[in-house]
Amino acid sequence: MNRWIYDFAVWVDGHDWSTALHESYYLYNWVESTHVLALMISLGMLFLIDLRMLGLALTDVPASAVARRLNLPMLVGFSVMIVTGVLLFYAIPVRTAQSLWFRVKLVLLLLAALNAWLFHRRLRAAPAGWELAARAPARLRLGAALSLVFWALIVICGRFIAYDWFDCSAAPAPLIATLAGCIDGQAQF
Amino acid sequence: MSAFSLPYSRSAAVAALLVAGAWLGLSDWRLQAWQELLPLFEWMETTPLGVAGKTWGAVFALVQALHLLSMALLGGAVLVADARLLGLLLREVPLATVQQRCHRVFAWALLVVVCSGVFMACGVAVKVYYLPVFWYKMLALAVGVVFVYLVRRPLLRHADAVHPWTLRLVALASLMIWFSVAATGRWIGFSG
Repeated sequence: MNRWIYDFAVWVDGHDWSTALHESYYLYNWVESTHVLALMISLGMLFLIDLRMLGLALTDVPASAVARRLNLPMLVGFSVMIVTGVLLFYAIPVRTAQSLWFRVKLVLLLLAALNAWLFHRRLRAAPAGWELAARAPARLRLGAALSLVFWALIVICGRFIAYDWFDCSAAPAPLIATLAGCIDGQAQF
Repeated sequence: MSAFSLPYSRSAAVAALLVAGAWLGLSDWRLQAWQELLPLFEWMETTPLGVAGKTWGAVFALVQALHLLSMALLGGAVLVADARLLGLLLREVPLATVQQRCHRVFAWALLVVVCSGVFMACGVAVKVYYLPVFWYKMLALAVGVVFVYLVRRPLLRHADAVHPWTLRLVALASLMIWFSVAATGRWIGFSG
């Protein structure tokens, strides 16, 4: 598995455009800035929806209006995050594929997606008349709290990718090297 | 009759502030003030916050993440409030409700953003002192805070009496200002 991921990353790294994007100061930094600034659209909307469910923000705006109206801008923001995120991976594939934080982040993204799917199912199943209350029913509050935790951890992992604490080139402990996917005797990128 | 109850007195005060800021910014005073601030930035690195930020890389990175998370919340509050002013979002909810509720979220997020920002600045104080983009960001932030508390909120208190296009321009100005704050902030990390 780690071998396969490594070979794939090396293959991506061989693309001319990958090198070009990595080496372009302005293009790379603008893609990276767009990725970070789009947090204000994607997570900005998500946090407001979650905090509304918990009764911590926008309490006299109907919860269903918040969830429904902020959904579209949130999805637009997440689309930007995905496109710029893929581009960032494309620019630096091998180091990113072998980043412990990047791997943890992908697992957390899957968990957050699963949680979002469950949340929307519960939202549709919620009994009428709840949306004017300051707090949502307990099942929705649980989903909102989990969403906040997952996304906080995702942002933390994303920020940590930039640091080289556990890079393969820093020869981490064997367990971490396996989790990060380091290959014995690999070329250093 | 107090000064602030005269017609356009607040506009005059804000205009005077802008003129004073531009005059100070274009005069020699700017360079002098910058030079006099160096000891402050050197001192910031010696404070417990500065020492902690330098010593524990993981703490510094965690505070960076907190800065990003609170930025996301601040941006979300600004976007929803401005989109409501532009008539793009939550039109079924009264304008004043959306503005007040979003402002409360904005104010809390601003508090966390500023506190985490001060911690980060202490860790790398002398480095950012010499980065022009750091000062652009501080300028943008100052403009943002002045805009919110001296222009936007006083105007929205009488939103029904204000021309709809004025409200839309306020929303556009707000979006541009906070985009500039976040973008220049991100660029600090690419510089130096």
